Amino acid sequence: MLKNHIKVAWRTLLKHKSLFTINILGLAIGIATALVIFLFVVDELSYDRHYKKADQIVRVVLKGKMNGELIKEAVTPGPVAYTLQEEFPEVLQATRIKSNGTPQITYKNNIFRDQKFAYVDPNFFQVFTLPFIKGDPTIALQEPNTIVITQKLASKYFGNENPMGKILEFKEWNQRYKVTGVINEVPANSHFHFDAFGSMEGFAAAKEHKWIESGYHSYLVLDERVDYRNVEEKLPKIVHKYMGPQIKKSMGMTFEEFNGKGNDIGLFLQPLADIHLHSDFADATNLEPGGDIKTVYIFGAIAIFILIIACINFMNLSTAAASKRAKEVGVKKVLGSPKSQLIKQFLIESFIATMVAMVLALILVMISLPLFNDLSVKALDLTYMLHPQILMYLLILGIIISFLAGGYPAFFLSSFAPITALKNKYTNTGNSKGLRSGLVIFQFAISVSLILSTIVVDQQMSFIQNKDIGYEKDQILVLRDSWMLKNNEEVFKEQLFKDPRVSNITMSGHIPAGPSHNHMSSIYPGQDSDAIRRTVVYNIDEHYIPTLGMELIAGRNFTTDEGSETTNLIINETSARILGFMDNAIGQPVTMSIDNEGGTRQYSVIGVVKDFHFKSLHQAIDPLIMINEPSSGLIVRAKTSDMRGLIATAEHIWNGFEINEPFNYTLLDELYNQTYLKEQKMGTILRIFALLTIFVACLGLFGLVTFTAEQRFKEIGIRKVLGSTIPQIITMLTVDFMKLVCISFLIAFPLGFYVMNTWLQDFAYRIQIQWWVFVLAGCITLIVAFMTIGWKSFKAASMNPIKSLRTE
Amino acid sequence: MLLQLKNISKWVHSGGQKVFLLKDINFWVNEGDFISIMGPSGSGKSTLLNIIGMLDDFNEGEYTFLEEKVHSLKEKHRANLYKQYIGFVFQAYHLIDELTVKENLEMPLLYKKHSASERKSLVADMLDRFNIVGKKDLFPSQLSGGQQQLVGVARALIASPKLILADEPTGNLNSKQGEEIMEIFTQLNKDGVTIIQVTHSEKNMAYGSRVINLLDGKIE
Repeated sequence: MLKNHIKVAWRTLLKHKSLFTINILGLAIGIATALVIFLFVVDELSYDRHYKKADQIVRVVLKGKMNGELIKEAVTPGPVAYTLQEEFPEVLQATRIKSNGTPQITYKNNIFRDQKFAYVDPNFFQVFTLPFIKGDPTIALQEPNTIVITQKLASKYFGNENPMGKILEFKEWNQRYKVTGVINEVPANSHFHFDAFGSMEGFAAAKEHKWIESGYHSYLVLDERVDYRNVEEKLPKIVHKYMGPQIKKSMGMTFEEFNGKGNDIGLFLQPLADIHLHSDFADATNLEPGGDIKTVYIFGAIAIFILIIACINFMNLSTAAASKRAKEVGVKKVLGSPKSQLIKQFLIESFIATMVAMVLALILVMISLPLFNDLSVKALDLTYMLHPQILMYLLILGIIISFLAGGYPAFFLSSFAPITALKNKYTNTGNSKGLRSGLVIFQFAISVSLILSTIVVDQQMSFIQNKDIGYEKDQILVLRDSWMLKNNEEVFKEQLFKDPRVSNITMSGHIPAGPSHNHMSSIYPGQDSDAIRRTVVYNIDEHYIPTLGMELIAGRNFTTDEGSETTNLIINETSARILGFMDNAIGQPVTMSIDNEGGTRQYSVIGVVKDFHFKSLHQAIDPLIMINEPSSGLIVRAKTSDMRGLIATAEHIWNGFEINEPFNYTLLDELYNQTYLKEQKMGTILRIFALLTIFVACLGLFGLVTFTAEQRFKEIGIRKVLGSTIPQIITMLTVDFMKLVCISFLIAFPLGFYVMNTWLQDFAYRIQIQWWVFVLAGCITLIVAFMTIGWKSFKAASMNPIKSLRTE
Repeated sequence: MLLQLKNISKWVHSGGQKVFLLKDINFWVNEGDFISIMGPSGSGKSTLLNIIGMLDDFNEGEYTFLEEKVHSLKEKHRANLYKQYIGFVFQAYHLIDELTVKENLEMPLLYKKHSASERKSLVADMLDRFNIVGKKDLFPSQLSGGQQQLVGVARALIASPKLILADEPTGNLNSKQGEEIMEIFTQLNKDGVTIIQVTHSEKNMAYGSRVINLLDGKIE
C-alpha cells in the first residue's frame, strides 16, 4: 500500500511538473534563506561565549557628560581594574588589554609587520581562556618582556623551529621580548583579535595611578553568585574616591563642583556577552567594530517572514493542487478505501515534497554560503547544520510543514461522500479564498517593504558619496608610512613635489577619512575653565588646508611668512560655536590643557575652517582645532588622470632611499568608502533578500493564477463564445490579484517608512524619505506582479473555447 | 433475495420546500437478476443506483442488503459491505489517471487484504479474460473509450462481487463498443452475477430481464 502511495505521489508530481517545481523551489528558497540567516544570527549571538568564565566576566566602561559632550567609551583609566579588585571581594580577578597598534617585529634579519599587538596583564589567559599549544597560561606573562603569540605568527617567524624562548625585537620601542607561549588563532567570534600579547609587567605606564587618562580595556571576573548590577551600584563611590582628587588637581574644582555644573562621569559594567552586539561606544575606543543587535533583529525578522511566506505558499499551492484530486479520492472511496488510507496518502505526498525541498535548501545554503560570508564578513560553516540536534529541528520543521500543507487535502477531501467527490462538486469555499487573499497581501507587504528599504539604503549611500564633506576626497594619495623615511621625509616630499602631476603636498598624519586615532586635548576660551571641552587636535603645516581643499570661512591659514605660528591655531566652525565665539573668532584667546596636572598653553585663533567630516556621517561634527606642529605622514593632491603613473613615480623615489621598507599608499576616496563598507554590504544583503522575497512571493502568485485559470477554464470558454475579447479575459483574471498587491501597499508603506526612518536615525547626516520612493517601490512591485500573472492569463485567455466546453 | 427497498424517499430542501428526488420506492432484487432502470433526465435513476450502491443516503424507508439493514449500519460497516459485494461501473470510467491498467485493476484488492501473489494472479486472470494483457502497462489516457470501459468493468469484477451497478456504462461509447460491453454484461449475468444498470437506451434495456421505469422520482 505504501508503495502504491509513493507511486501515485511520484506520478502526480511528474504530471504537474511546473506547479510542483514552483512549489518545491519556493519552499526550498525560503528554508535556505532562513537557514543562512539562522547561521548568521547564531554566530552573532555566540560572541565571546566560548571563554570558560564567560558568564562571570564583565567589561568596565566609562559613560558621562562633560560640558554638553556625551562621553561613551569602552576604555577606562589604567588603575580601574586592579582598584576594583582590591576594593570589592566579589571581584575575583581583574585584567586589562592595552591595544598597541601594529609594531614592526624583527627576528634575526627578518622584519615583520601587520601583526596586531596588545599589552595584557599577566593573568589575562586565566580570564580569557584561550587554549595554549605551548607554554603555561598561568605563568607565561609573569615576567616583563615576555610575549605570547599565535601559532600562525610562530610559523611565520620561526618556521618549524620551536618558538619557545626565542627573542623578538621591537626596534621602534627599543625592546626585546621572549616568546613564552603559543596559542591558536583567537576564535572569529571574539570581540578582540590580537596576534601577539605582550606582558603588561614591562609597560611602565600601566602602573601609573592616573585616573583621568583612559586607554585600558578593563575586565573583571565576578563571583558567580553576584549580579553585576549590584557591583555596578557601588562604582560611583569609587569614582568619587579616586577620580575626584585628580579632577581637582587638573581642573581646579572639586568633584562636587564638577558634578554641580551638570557634568557626570561614571563607570559602568557590561557583561562580556553583550560586548559584540550592544556596544555604542566611541569608535576609537572599541577594540574592533562590533555587530549590531538591530541587524540581528532585522535579519531575524526577514528570516521568519520569508520562511512563513514560503511555507504558506507551499500549503496554498498544495491545497489548490489537491482539489484536482477529488476524482481520485472518489474512485478510491468507491473501491473501498478507508478514510485513513487517503489521509495517509496525502500526508506521505506532502512529506515527500517537503523533504525534497529540505534537501534542495541544504544544497542552496551550501552554494550561497561563500557569497553570504563575503558580504557579511563572516566565516559561517554548514557543518554547524549537521549537528544532530539541529537536524532534528529541521526534521520537525519539515514534519510540521508537511502536516500543514498536506493536512487540508488529507482531512478535507477525504471526508467527502464518494459521489460528491466523483462529481467534482467540490468548490472553493469563500473562506479559503479569503485566506489566500490575506496571504498574497502579507507576502507582498513584506516584499514591498524590502524593496522600499533597498531604495532608501541606496539613496543614503549615494548621499554619503555625494555629500559636501568639507574637503575634496578625490585625487588624493595618502602615504602613511612616510615616517619610516625619518630625516629623509622632507627630502622625499621635495622630490615628489617636483613632479608636474602633483599639485600640492602636505606633511601631516591626520587624515579625515578612514580609521582615525586622533589625539584629544581639552580647551577652553580665555581663562574660563568651566567651559572646558575635549577636542580633536590636528597637527598640520601650512599646506594642509589647500591640499585637502578645505575652506577657510574667516581669518587666514598658517604661513611661513609671519614668523612663529606656534601660539596660533585654526578652529572649525563647531569649535567656534561651542567656545562661544560666534562670528568674531579671530584673535580670541584659547587655553589648552597640556597635561592632567593643571599645566596649560595659550593660543589665539587666526582662522576658522569650514566644518568638514573627519568622522563618519553617523556622527555629528565635533569640535576640532589645528595647530602648526609637524607630524609624520604625507598627503598628496594630484592633478592628473594618470594616478597609476604618479604612484609608480612615488614608489621609484621611495625605493631610492634604500630603507628596505615596502612602499605603501592608500587613496583618500577609498579610505572614505571603507567607513561605509558595513552599510554598503548591508545594502547588498538587503537587495538580495528583497529579490528572494519578491521571487518567492511571485512564485506563489504564479501558482495561484495557474490554479485560478484552471478552475475558471470553463467560464473562460463560455465568456469567449459569448464574445469576450482576450484583453477582457486577462483583466478578469489579473485584476483581483493586482487589487491585493495594491492593498499590500497600505501595510508596506508605513512599515517600510518606520523601519527605514529608524535606520536613518543612526546617521547624523541623512536623507529625507521622499514620496517618490513609495511610488517607485509600488510600481516595481506592480510591474513584476503583472508580468508574473500576465503571461499565464494571456495563455488562458487565448485558448480555443471549444476545448473547455467539450464535455467529458 | 439479494436486496430489498421499502418505501425509500430522498429529498432536498430548496427555497424552503421539500423537493423529492425519490419518493416511496419499493422493489426487490433477486440474485441473478439483470435489471435496467430507465427514465428521462432528472427522474432519479442515478440517485437510486447510488443508494443501492450505498454511496448516497436516503431520508426515509428501509434498505435490506443480504439480510443486513443498511439504513441502520454505521458508515464503516456499510463500506465493508459494498466493498465485499458490489462492483461499480461508471459512464466516465473513473479510472485513476496516474495508475496503469494493471495498477488500476489491482486497486480494489489493495483494500481487501489479499496477498501480493494473490493480487497478481487475480489481475492476470482479469487481463486475460478481457483480452487486455497487451495493454497492462498503459495509462488510461493511452486507451480508447471502449478499452477504458473494459478496464472499468474488469476492475468492478476483480473482487468477485455479487452485484454490479452500472451507471450508463455505454453512455460515452460508440455503438460497437457499447454492444461489446453489453455482451460482457450478458455473459456475466449468465455466470450468476446480478446486474443493475441505469440506461437511456431501449437497445441496452433489451439485454436485461426486468425494467424499472422512473418518472419524477417515482416508479411507474
